[in-house]
Amino acid sequence: MTTNPELILEVAEIHTFIGQFHILEGVSVSVPQGSITVLLGRNGAGKTTTLKSIMGLTPPRSGTITFGGRRIEGKRPFDVAKMGIGYVPEHRAIFKELSVKENLQIAERARGDLNQRADFIFELFPDLKRLYGLGGGKLSGGQQQMLAIARALVPDNRLLLIDEPSEGLAPVIIESLIQAIRRLAQNTTVLLVEQNFRMASQLADRYIIIDDGKSVKTGEMSTLIKDEATIQKYLGAA
Amino acid sequence: MQTPATSIQQKPAWRRTLDTNGVFLLWTAFLLIFPFLVGAISGTSPTGRRGESVFQQGVMIEYLTYAMLAMSYNLIFGFTGVISFGHALFFGAGGYILGGAARALGGETGVIVGVVLAIVASTGLGLLIGIVSLRLKGVYYAMFTLAVAEMFYIFFRRNPETGSEDGFGLGSSLPELLGQRIVLFYLTVILFILMFLFIRRLMFSPTGAVLLGIRENENRAKTVGYNTLRYKLFAITLAGVLATITGMLYALLNRKVGPEMFFVNFTVNPLLHTIVGGIGTFIGPILGAVGLSWLERTIRSTVLTVGESQINIGQWWAIILGVIFVAVVLIFPYGVVGTWNRAAPHIRKWISRFLPGRNAESG
Amino acid sequence: MEGIFAPERRSTLIAVLIIFVGLLGFSFLTTGADMAQLSITLLSGLLQGMLLFLVASGLSIIFGLMDVLNFAQGAFFMIGAYIGWEIQHAPNLMKAIPDPNLRFLVGIAGAVIVGAVLGAGLERGLLRPLYARPIFQLVATFGVSLIALEVVKLIWGTAPRSWTEDFTLSSGEFSLFGQFFSTYRLVVIVVGVLLIVGIAVLLKRTRIGITIRAGVEDSSMVEALGINVRLVFTGVFVLGCAVASFGGVIAAPFLGASNAMGAEFLLGAIAAVVLGGLGSYEGTAIASLMVGIAKAVVAKFSVQYLNQPVWESLTPMILMAAILLLRPSGLFGKE
Ligand SMILES: Nc1ncnc2c1ncn2[C@@H]1O[C@H](COP(=O)(O)OP(=O)(O)OP(=O)(O)O)[C@@H](O)[C@H]1O
Ligand SMILES: [Mg+2]
Repeated sequence: MTTNPELILEVAEIHTFIGQFHILEGVSVSVPQGSITVLLGRNGAGKTTTLKSIMGLTPPRSGTITFGGRRIEGKRPFDVAKMGIGYVPEHRAIFKELSVKENLQIAERARGDLNQRADFIFELFPDLKRLYGLGGGKLSGGQQQMLAIARALVPDNRLLLIDEPSEGLAPVIIESLIQAIRRLAQNTTVLLVEQNFRMASQLADRYIIIDDGKSVKTGEMSTLIKDEATIQKYLGAA
Repeated sequence: MQTPATSIQQKPAWRRTLDTNGVFLLWTAFLLIFPFLVGAISGTSPTGRRGESVFQQGVMIEYLTYAMLAMSYNLIFGFTGVISFGHALFFGAGGYILGGAARALGGETGVIVGVVLAIVASTGLGLLIGIVSLRLKGVYYAMFTLAVAEMFYIFFRRNPETGSEDGFGLGSSLPELLGQRIVLFYLTVILFILMFLFIRRLMFSPTGAVLLGIRENENRAKTVGYNTLRYKLFAITLAGVLATITGMLYALLNRKVGPEMFFVNFTVNPLLHTIVGGIGTFIGPILGAVGLSWLERTIRSTVLTVGESQINIGQWWAIILGVIFVAVVLIFPYGVVGTWNRAAPHIRKWISRFLPGRNAESG
Repeated sequence: MEGIFAPERRSTLIAVLIIFVGLLGFSFLTTGADMAQLSITLLSGLLQGMLLFLVASGLSIIFGLMDVLNFAQGAFFMIGAYIGWEIQHAPNLMKAIPDPNLRFLVGIAGAVIVGAVLGAGLERGLLRPLYARPIFQLVATFGVSLIALEVVKLIWGTAPRSWTEDFTLSSGEFSLFGQFFSTYRLVVIVVGVLLIVGIAVLLKRTRIGITIRAGVEDSSMVEALGINVRLVFTGVFVLGCAVASFGGVIAAPFLGASNAMGAEFLLGAIAAVVLGGLGSYEGTAIASLMVGIAKAVVAKFSVQYLNQPVWESLTPMILMAAILLLRPSGLFGKE
């Protein structure tokens, strides 16, 4: 998989401001087609902002973002999404007032999307089938995370951006999330943000380290695992 | 961009005071000689009850009261970031309490008791409203204050004891001294200057810093350990008292009080004045209030003659105001003064390029 | 709707019930247990409540979705009334369309269209550039409401216009316990009920409704799912303005058209929206009825016993202030 040289997403030297704060000061991210790529970095390094910049939620002021051969920086978020990018935000931002079913329905881009993908989604997350009519706010943390991922699977996305799925979840649940992400990555490219190094190392093919608003290192995950010095320097004790 | 710090140090103390307060002192001087200036130009006496000078003093008092109302509103809206739609409540309370006391007691006693009572009452009212409603967030607070003020408006409009729609006149119950326009004029000027200095002083004090902090980010101010509710309570009570003082001046000028003093206009006007002049600046509200009031007075009295027909553009005033306002909101988001403050350094730099021998300026 | 009967809402529902029963009881006592008086009072309360709802629903949904408190909502109500009045009474139109019923329908269509067009202009021209500065939006809609009032004064003057042209429905009456009540007012109540239910179904069952409810929670997430949220904003804003304008035109046959009606209905609607809980549709509907009935009951009482009509106009504000003090986010609002 990782040998496929074609890049589905290429972020080059983006600079992003939030208000007057210069948050990203040169971030470059390359995501090969079919891979799982993980963004690593300390708290506040700028990982979430990178994903939001790709989505157009915090548009970069300079630099380029190319998705599937087309430039997407400066496009409105809904346009970016419609090109085939699914976004799973941090803190499991599902709609708490909507039922599980409605949370999935709203992600449909064409009528019938949900019907088509329902089997696959329930196979990945059997819990959701049982909870279909329940309000999103009533789900447990793990179930909300599953719903947030499932929501991104409703349309036929070519790339998923998943922000810290393991945050605040119990080990068993993390384990099942790892299985699910591995499974869905068979059809979709994934750009993952993950603080849980164990989870990251089990899933990812490639890594990019972001530190203080800059991308500082990138390579194969398998080499990073052995590179104690880099892990110490940028990620603290792993 | 700025003058190097050393050159300020080299100047004597009086020069430094003049440098930083020159404009302020100039305006103070202008206000102080205003009655005589107009008197000299128009050849009328600045004292007495009639004449151009006396009339213009009245106009100036009106402008200054609007400016004071806007300054008091700016204290909560501009500096603390609390949006209230009930400011008129305090304005009207000042008028009615002073008027009520004057009518009941008459003469100097009436005015003195009225002033004391009004300040005490508005402090109480500010604290009361604050305590019961400040925990309401943003829009809820705005609505709550609107509701309270509106209740007072409706009540006084329909209350026969206070003259219902018409309110009541104070003419006969005020002391002779206040009947002289020039006395009221200097009283207003003094209060205006005091209020200006007081607010400036306050905003440069530690308390002012906390208020600004609340405006920027209330939660952060809270995390840092400030009891933000208490500071907000202080700000709205103080702004209320200042509005009450303004309301008393307004009543003295018009020699009557009426329910319109409680009407939303006396909330909306200071709000507009503040926004047009510049939110959270010291002179913005003054500039907005005086500028717009002057414009209103001018437009209302203008009759255009187009061919045969005469067009009274006075009735268009509210529309003109609306357009000015919308334009300012869209084009000068920080108001006139705020936008100027942001643009001034750039403009100065730009101008200095064309001044020979000065383009060496750097810094 | 599961939302409103959810267990955590139980105390709210009980409170609502107590208020309604209280109002009923109060009105029962004031009318001296006279069924005719009582039913007329309640009907006119219901009528006022429905009209308030037509202004309040837009206010509430617009606020929930885009965080804009649209102060111009009352102006749309007033404009609707004037347009309806004008179309009914304009001499040229009376000649062109002799049938008063048809003219009334044309008036309704005209008011709704004008409301929608003005609403679209307001959202696109003034609110869009200001989404990053919410306080300015608040102030801008306030400014627009003032301008609208002045424009209306320029066109129609300050004297109220009363409705003189009858049409079939407006002249009909029916009797209830021996008291007469205009059929048209009953029809307005029914239309109000239909709208309450219709909008609820729209919000609950349709895709656009799901999008709106999701947008109320987190509009940027909705956008990130591939939905053009700004288009939804415009649509909802236009709808809200059109409904308010519709309220004005259907109220015109008995209220006429006047400068003051915009502010009056705005204040009532604000009271209803705030005490129902900003952003809660059910809350707005229930609170509108509550305010309407409370106004009618208080009006009856104060006219009969106090000879002081002022209390009726104070009622919405007092009710709102009282409930805000007990529940800082209104009846159905969230913290
Ligand atoms: N709205 C904002 N205003 C100001 N600064 C912000 C804002 N949002 C984020 N930041 C700052 O931007 C930096 C990057 O934030 P970001 O959320 O991208 O970090 P992150 O790498 O995702 O961290 P975490 O692991 O904690 O989620 C942080 O220092 C944060 O404080
Ligand atoms: Mg993050």
